[in-house]
Order: sequence, then structure tokens, then C-alpha cells
Amino acid sequence: MSTTTFIRTEDLKGLVADLRAAGIGVAGPARTSDGAVDYRSINAFDDVVLDGQPRNSLKQFFLPPTEPLFKYQRKGSDVAILEISTTFPPRVILGARPCDAAAVDVLDKVMNWDYTDEPWFGRRAATTIVTFACPGGDRSCFCTSVGLAPDATRGSDLLLAPAGDGYVVEIVTEKGQALVTANAKRFGAGAGVEATQAYRDKARASVEGHVPARPDVIRAWVDAHFEDPFWAEISLRCHGCGGCAAACPTCHCFDIVDEPETLTEGTRRRNWDTCQTSVFTAHASGHNPRNDQCGRCRQRVNHKFAIYPARFNDILCTGCGRCARTCPAGQDVTEILTRIVAMATGQGGAA
Amino acid sequence: MTELRELARRLLSEGTVNAVLGWEEGPRGARPAFVTTPEGADTLIFDHRCVHNLASYLSPRRPHLKRLGKVAMVLKPCDARAVAGLIRETQIPRDKVVLIGVRCGGVITDPDSTAPLTEATVADRCRGCPDREGHLADHTVGTAGPGFAGPSKRAQKIEELAAAPAEKRWAFWQSELEKCVRCHACRQVCPMCYCDRCLADKTQPRWIESSPHARGNMAWHVARAMHLAGRCVDCGECERVCPEGIPLGLITRKIAQVVSERYDFRPSDDPAVPAPVGTYRMDDPQEFIL
Repeated sequence: MSTTTFIRTEDLKGLVADLRAAGIGVAGPARTSDGAVDYRSINAFDDVVLDGQPRNSLKQFFLPPTEPLFKYQRKGSDVAILEISTTFPPRVILGARPCDAAAVDVLDKVMNWDYTDEPWFGRRAATTIVTFACPGGDRSCFCTSVGLAPDATRGSDLLLAPAGDGYVVEIVTEKGQALVTANAKRFGAGAGVEATQAYRDKARASVEGHVPARPDVIRAWVDAHFEDPFWAEISLRCHGCGGCAAACPTCHCFDIVDEPETLTEGTRRRNWDTCQTSVFTAHASGHNPRNDQCGRCRQRVNHKFAIYPARFNDILCTGCGRCARTCPAGQDVTEILTRIVAMATGQGGAA
Repeated sequence: MTELRELARRLLSEGTVNAVLGWEEGPRGARPAFVTTPEGADTLIFDHRCVHNLASYLSPRRPHLKRLGKVAMVLKPCDARAVAGLIRETQIPRDKVVLIGVRCGGVITDPDSTAPLTEATVADRCRGCPDREGHLADHTVGTAGPGFAGPSKRAQKIEELAAAPAEKRWAFWQSELEKCVRCHACRQVCPMCYCDRCLADKTQPRWIESSPHARGNMAWHVARAMHLAGRCVDCGECERVCPEGIPLGLITRKIAQVVSERYDFRPSDDPAVPAPVGTYRMDDPQEFIL
């Protein structure tokens, strides 16, 4: 499905107002109290800030930092389980970045692997993702090196790119078509995709060349160099804070805990977790198979660029660069991947 | 810079240390560096973007760093307070680390910024800092600007909060702490958070709920604040790394104020100064003990 339509900026404002009036939640990149831009609930299109990449990703809209799975009640020797609904009210995310929208699609694979994750897919079904083609990134962006692009449609239901007094709208999925159909008066004739080409080319040029576009080479090297001193070297600066994983649109590991609330009742929840901490792999016996930061730094690269590709034929990274921007110690994924390609192709080694 | 590099090169080539912990130019500005060869000393830098407190890397609980063997560490006057804290609490022996003090006139907040150091860009924690040069050092290098006058914006905010009614303070902290995702980055970068197993990671029993909900978050931040009372050196790392932008410095500074007023203790870079926790004086205020 790839048809296009057009929406004027005025109509985009009207669309948000219409959706809100119909009781549909709208989220988009908007200013926070500390001055940053996060994806969050918005009331009007004027709240949307399209400059720069939001600090958080879209992950939390589908996998919240903490989420109740069910409640339990003990009665004598019996335990009653109180289910929590996995049906969610409709929501539109407006102003997603292509790297963040793609991440959700990448994660659909693991969320539908050994079991179907009901809360994840409940939210997926309820959410329509309206992506804006990226205006271009900074030196930590590398989407084109992992098979994506600043105007990639993957994971999006609609992709908007600016032209004239509005946006050319690519209808990517049936869900996207349904949003257009339900709000037909807001869409109409206008410029075609060709009018957005210069914008797209400029964005692409801004992110290319930051990492060699050789995911196959990276995967093969990582597979074959589990014990390489490279990992010990790059892990020196890592504090194991997990900031990279929290900011990452594709890091999806969670911990499951039972939290008693009274003597007989409680909630089973799942919370974000990260392989960057010691406790992530700590065994009940006290043994820890991944007992220092070298193994943890390696795990992050390994899972994203070798394990996930082997299992799902997909890279667990969309090149958004948030891990490099957020790291308090200056660890930089573009540097790590560039060095791996250099070592693999015989143009350098561990420093 | 030449002085720093020369010294690092000498320490490495003479075999005094196996590695020098300092700063280098990374892909996104200044970042921690681990120099292990004399030639590598030329990558070392020091300027107002060197915001990181490298003392965290001295923690004995970091086996991958321990393998480096004896190290030298470049430290700002505020970082020296953290090293003194680790020595005071017997986490590192003084003779196992060579300390290279750098004179400092303040840092900015973002190591990746190209902004010069000015009244407008200086890190809030540097406002009113009296220390241009640390006392805990084997070598001292560099020159420093005059520093910046206080009070900090943070001190003003603490006063404002202290003057507000309890309900308003509660509402402020509820709205700030609800952002917390419990990544524990604040703990990981803190030079004084060196426990082998953190209270927050213990599960038998679960003292502090790990879920990032109001209950768990409040429990975590209160526990963290109490554990840092009389120990926090105000390096600002917790607040800098918080991915949610929570003003953690307001908590640690308020506690430091209380400790200073009641126990006359200010984090010092002299390891011999006794810490209020673990010291009993006959005139300690104790009216709160029932």
C-alpha cells in the first residue's frame, strides 16, 4: 500500500483538535518541565516540537517502565488471580521519528516469539503512528547504516514529509488509511512526493558515513571475537548505569516482581531492566556468569548486532544515537561499530 | 596541558603506574580516558568541559578496572573530596593511587558543549566553590581562572522549598520523583555509592520496591539521600546523568546543609577529618533521640 495525500499545517492542527474532541489520546514530541523534549501526551498540535530528537523513545508507549500484569488475592490456601485488561483506548502518536517508529516494528518480532505479549500487542493495536520524515540528525545518527533512512516508513502507519504549506502524506498501512478516511475533511489534494525529495536528500546526507554500512561484517566479527581484548578496553569507562538501555528504542528487557500490598493481596508487575547491571545476571546461588563490565558491554553490542540478527534476521538497533548522547562517560556506539568494521576488514585493531 | 601530559608520560614510562585516568577528546566532547602507554599521554586534556568525577573509577568493586593495577588519577578539587571520602572510609589505600591535582576555575555542565566558561554557562554547583586547588595530591598542575561567586540557583531553590508549606513541598517532590524510571544511573556514577550489593538490589527481603511507581521511587530516593548524608561531595554527577532530569542535587545539598548545621561537617579533601557518620562527640545534638 503506497498511496499519497496531502494535509495542510492548519488541517494538522484541526486534526489534533478533532481527535482530542473524539476522546482519542494524542502524543507527540513536546517540551517537559526541565526544558527537554520528550514524546508525551499533547492537547494541541502547537505543543509539538519538531526540532531535534526527543530525549525518550516510543518504547514507553508500548512497554511502560512499570506495568501491572495481574493482581492476586490469597484466601486460605487458595490464590485468586485478577486479570488486568490488555485492551487499550485508541491513541495516535503524532510526530514520531522514523528511527523510533521502526524500533516498534523490530520489537514486534521478539514480542511474538516464544509467546505473544498481550499488553504489547494490545497497545500496538490501539495505536496509530504518524511519523514525520526526519529533517536530519547529528554526528551520532546512523540509521542508514542499519538499513533504515531518515524517511523510512517501517513501523509507521502514515509518513509525513513537509512541502509548501503542509505535508505530503504517505499512507503506509491500513491503519493509516483508516485514520485518513475517518478524518477525510482534513486531507486533500496537494504536492506529490517528488516535492519532498530535496528535504529527504538533505536529511540523508546528514546521517550518512558516521558508521560503515556493513552490518554483515559487524555481525561476523562480533560472533567470532567473544574473548577479544577490545571488549575489556571499551568497557573501562562504562559505569554500568544502563542509561543507554533506558534511552534505547529497542532495548526491551524487563524484570518481573511480585509486590505485596496487604497481607493477602498484591500485584505482579514488570519493570524495565538492563543487561548493563550486575544484578541482571546474578544467580540465586551467588554466582554471576557475567561478573564484570567487559561482558556487559559486549552483551549490548552482541545482542543488537549478532544475536537478534541470528534469531530474527533483523538488527536490534535503528541508529538513533541516543545511547551515545546519553552516556555520562562518552561511550559512543558509532565509534565502537566503526572500529569493529576496521578490525574486521584489516584496517585497525584494539588500541 | 603540556605539564599534565609530561607528568603522565613520566609516570607511565618510569613504571610508577600502569595507567593514568584522565580526560580525552571523544566523539562527543571531553570524556574519561584510560591511558596505558607513555605515547598515549598526548591524548590527555583538561579544560572546563572535564565535568566527570573520575573517583568513581577507583571503587574497589569494579573488577575490570582493578586489572589495570596501580593507577594515577587526574582530579579537580571537588573530585579530591570524593577520593578523600574513599580513603576515609577505607575503600582505597592512599599509597595505591597517584593523585594528579589540576587547578580548576569551574566547569560547564555539558562535556560536549563548545560554549566558553562564563557566568552564564558555569555549572551551578561551581558557583561559590572556594577551591581553586585541592590539597589531596601528589602533584598539582595547570592554572585556574578566578572561579564564580555564589549563591547557586540551587541554593536559592532549596531556600524557596524550605519556606514553602509541607503540602507544596510534597507536591513538588511527587511530580519530580514520578519521572524516575529506576535505572539507578545516579547510584552507578556516584563515587560514594560503592556497596557490593546495594540495598535496592536485595530481594530477600525486598527492602525497596524496584518498580518505578510513587511508592518505590520515594523509598529509593529517601534511602539514597540518607545513605549519602555527611558523605556526598557535591560532584553533581547524579544530577548530570539522570535521564529524566530530576534535580537530585536539591536533595543531596539539603541533606549536606543539615549535616553542616548540626554536626559542623563539610565534605573535605582531608581524609583525616572524621566523618559525622561513625564519629560520636559528647556535644552531638541528640534531642531527637527519644
